[in-house]
This record gives sequence, C-alpha cells and structure tokens, in this order.
Amino acid sequence: MTAGERSFLDFGGRLVVVTGASSGLGRACAGVLSEHGARILLVGRDPATLAATQRGLSGEGHEILVLDLNHLDRIGPEIARVAGQVGRVYGLCHAAGVVETRPLSVTTSDVVQQMMTVNLLAGIELARAVARRDVMDQDGGSLVFLSSIYGRVGVAGETGYSATKGAVAAAVRSMAIELARRRVRVNAISPGLVLTPMTDSALGTLSREHVAAIEQKHPLGLGTPADVARAALFLLSPATAWITGIDLVVDGGYSAQ
Amino acid sequence: MTTAEALVWMAEMFEEPKGNITAGTARADIAAWDSLGQLILMSALDQQFGIRLTQAELSSLASVQDVLDILARHERLQG
Repeated sequence: MTAGERSFLDFGGRLVVVTGASSGLGRACAGVLSEHGARILLVGRDPATLAATQRGLSGEGHEILVLDLNHLDRIGPEIARVAGQVGRVYGLCHAAGVVETRPLSVTTSDVVQQMMTVNLLAGIELARAVARRDVMDQDGGSLVFLSSIYGRVGVAGETGYSATKGAVAAAVRSMAIELARRRVRVNAISPGLVLTPMTDSALGTLSREHVAAIEQKHPLGLGTPADVARAALFLLSPATAWITGIDLVVDGGYSAQ
Repeated sequence: MTTAEALVWMAEMFEEPKGNITAGTARADIAAWDSLGQLILMSALDQQFGIRLTQAELSSLASVQDVLDILARHERLQG
C-alpha cells in the first residue's frame, strides 16, 4: 500500500461498530477497517468467535460487545454503555444477517419476521443508538448497511429475505436524508452471492444444479468477503464525505445482465 | 414527575448531557430541537403522558420552561 492510498482511507483511530463480527462479512469488514486505522467495536453473540476475530485485527483499542441482535430493546442501552466507556462512535457497519431460503408455500410470517428482526429492525435500532448526538462523533460519521442484490432482483426461494434486504436499502435512503444535516452519511451495499458460513448453510439446502445456476449468473464468479469489505471500507471512510444515500452494488456483474 | 426528572427526560429526548438542560434553556440552544425535534417532542408527550398538543401549542414552544408549563397544566408535574 502506498502512502497516498493509506491517507485516502485512513480512519485515524475512529471507532466503528461492526455487527456480525464473528464470521463472514462482518469479520472481513472488521479486519480491513482495522488495517486502515479504525478501532473496532465487535458485536456478536459468541464471545469465543468474537475473540478470534479480535485477535486477527490490526492495531489496538478494539473492543467486544456480546449482544444478541434479536433483543432489540438491548441494543440502544448496550451501545450507549460501551460508548460511555470507550469513547464516541464514528461509524457503523451492520453486517449481521439471517437468511432462510424457502419456497413461498413455506415462507410463513414467523420465518419472515425472524429475518426482518435482524436484517432490518436491528439495523434501525443500531442506527438510532449510534447516531445519537451524545454517542456519535460531533463531526459526524458514516453508517453502512449490508443489503443484498436480492433486494433488487427476484429469485426463487428468497421472498422473505428479498423483502428484508429491499427494506434495508429503502430505509437507508431516508436515514441519509434525515441525518445529512449532521454530516452523518448512510449508505448500503448490495452484494451478490458471497461465500460465507451463512451462505454455505443456505446453499446446502439447494440442489447442486441450483447452486451451479446461481454461480453462472455471476460473470466474475462468486464473491469473497474481502470484495464486500473493501466496498464497506470505501463508504465508511472519512474521505468519501460526499456520498450518502446510495446502494452500492458489488455483485460480480450479476445485475448487469 | 418532578421538575428535575422532567429535565432529565428532556435531556434524554434531545440527546443532550443531563446537566445541559435547565428550565431556562431556550429551544434555539438545543441542537436537536429543530423541526424533527418538534415531532419527537410531540410524540413523547403523547406516548408517555397522554398529552396531545395542537399545532398552535406546538409552534408556540420556545423554551424548556414552556414544556414544563404544559406538563404542569396537565398535572404531570409535581413540585
């Protein structure tokens, strides 16, 4: 990395909350952000896997918050408590997510609600908690939410998941408008299929032919967590101060067809 | 609710440190008490105290004391 690249993306010790930090996209985002000088507040359910993520981070000053995002009423108090201890928050990367791939006939409301709780409602609670004037950096900040290409294009078996991810991108636009006056930017990333423990589990429920068909829809092949993490790094960076309300597609060309 | 508790309630609502808000604080001195802040206040008065303000009442609020007066008028403030 050159000095120029480092300065462009340098976080200078700013604190970024990363959810889903135990594995997959969240862990990758935490890693690449730490490489660029961010302090990370790692949020997840499992202390052991969070600690493993923490050990892999660059730099110092990273913290762990064990929190089940299904408990929406705990998010605000816990973020406020930790911020009171470690300092004001600059950013949020909401990478935690749940996917249940099911045909419509068995996509019951409780299945959709489970995904909605973590994918959308927890994200809004996190935004409320992090963007508080007594929690966020007084110079503003940057929030990034992981949406999905399935929030933009249809695919069999993902009615519930698509609904939650489309809602994320829609909520991001309104949050961006509301928070702009405080120099708080809000953006989404819509990845195509990225190989993570979560998607491995989802793909495991599909036939080999179905998986091959999905792969073939990605002209650049399936993605890696690093592909998405670098997009999050870009949007979270203080250097991209004039970008807000966008939904950045990172899908290997899936949706260009 | 006492006056002291009401001041803490307003500080929490407008995301200000607790000591920052006194009865004498003007609306203009509270960053979050802008047009969206008016909606937050209106919603909080309704949900927490059952107080529904008219648009004219809401528009007339210019200070923390004005909110305390409303709470007192609706018998939600003691002391």
